[in-house]
Amino acid sequence: MTLVDAPEVDSAAIRAAMEYYARQDWTDGLPVVPVTESYLAAFLAQTSRKPDDVVLAMPHLNRDCTVRLAAINAAMAGCLPEYFPVVLAAWDALVGEGYVTRGIWQSTTGTAPLLIVNGPVRDRIGINSGGNVFGSGFRPNATIGRAIRLTAINVFGLHPHLLDQATQGTPAKYSACIAENEEASPWPPLHVEHGFDPADSTVTAMVIRSCVHIEARHTQRPEQLGLDIAGTIARTGAMVHETTSATVVLGPEHARVFAEGGWSKDVVRQFLYEHAVTSRADLAAVGKDAISKNTRWRLPAGHPDALPPDDSFDPVPALNSPAAVQIVVAGASNAGVSAVIETLGARGNPPSTAKVRDP
Amino acid sequence: MTICTDSFVPAARAMAKVYGFPAYEFATMPHPLANLDQKQIDTCALELMPQVLRILGVES
Repeated sequence: MTLVDAPEVDSAAIRAAMEYYARQDWTDGLPVVPVTESYLAAFLAQTSRKPDDVVLAMPHLNRDCTVRLAAINAAMAGCLPEYFPVVLAAWDALVGEGYVTRGIWQSTTGTAPLLIVNGPVRDRIGINSGGNVFGSGFRPNATIGRAIRLTAINVFGLHPHLLDQATQGTPAKYSACIAENEEASPWPPLHVEHGFDPADSTVTAMVIRSCVHIEARHTQRPEQLGLDIAGTIARTGAMVHETTSATVVLGPEHARVFAEGGWSKDVVRQFLYEHAVTSRADLAAVGKDAISKNTRWRLPAGHPDALPPDDSFDPVPALNSPAAVQIVVAGASNAGVSAVIETLGARGNPPSTAKVRDP
Repeated sequence: MTICTDSFVPAARAMAKVYGFPAYEFATMPHPLANLDQKQIDTCALELMPQVLRILGVES
């Protein structure tokens, strides 16, 4: 490391500004970047939207997030100005997803938004799609997701222990932003699958809670790998509602196992739908063998709120359709590792994807 | 009126403040509620009644 090019600044003044932000609780716990009007202007120059345009309204909280507020929080999160169109696309995708405006960010469930970026913007601003894709080390991944979290806290007032009632939360609440490793995927990327042009840059937003990894370095057989993933999707702990949904983030090595076996994404999806199942006896053993007539949550048979049991099929599918699974390729091509992201919200509908718009 | 378990009182107060009613009064009961059986729920409901009647201003 060299200090030759380091700017000469009064570090005490910088610390004072950072501590001021911390005292105001304008933070996720980590230091934030102080924002001046001139720095904010650099962000606003990245979009043709007006500063007062609303990017997300939360009527039940009487609060709106405007372009200006989104930009302030993106800057505070450590984004560079050129990341801001991706942040705005993330907000558009979250609005399209719809769950956010129904109070999910306040829920005890403790979810986070997962942002999946496709298209040329990945390379343009350096969003990591390779090794350590869910981990640390890459400024766009770390700060674009954080921009959403800081906005949730600072604009919508979703402070933990107050309006954010998460029982445990998820580490993804700090930031959950990945890019698809389109170059290492044997299949069309997520955005192309859902009607966008390969030259489009997009952000897909999902409401997630858990990210469960699958270690399977031993197999070249798609059926073995598919069963390993299906078993993870169907774990009883994930069965909060009648069915669940998942985004399977395949490491490139696993994607190749499927592709070399002649499996398309749709074949993988169909296999997972058919094999992500749990026997009625296993559901009964954990007290999740019935469905609430009011909430459709799982509960024990015999509960006053339980629907009469439907024993006409056994085992019980964890997914309502093959379309309840999204498939993305990300990570390094160096080991048989993948992840099941447990998603909440709509099941079987296309994911919410928004285009990254140039200024 | 609103009934919440004691774990949710801070969130309920924050929400009341958002709506401009910081002194809004809730009836509260012990947490948890979701895993109680019918008899336990009936007991909770009976124990809540004095709070509910007081907040509603019901004359004795």
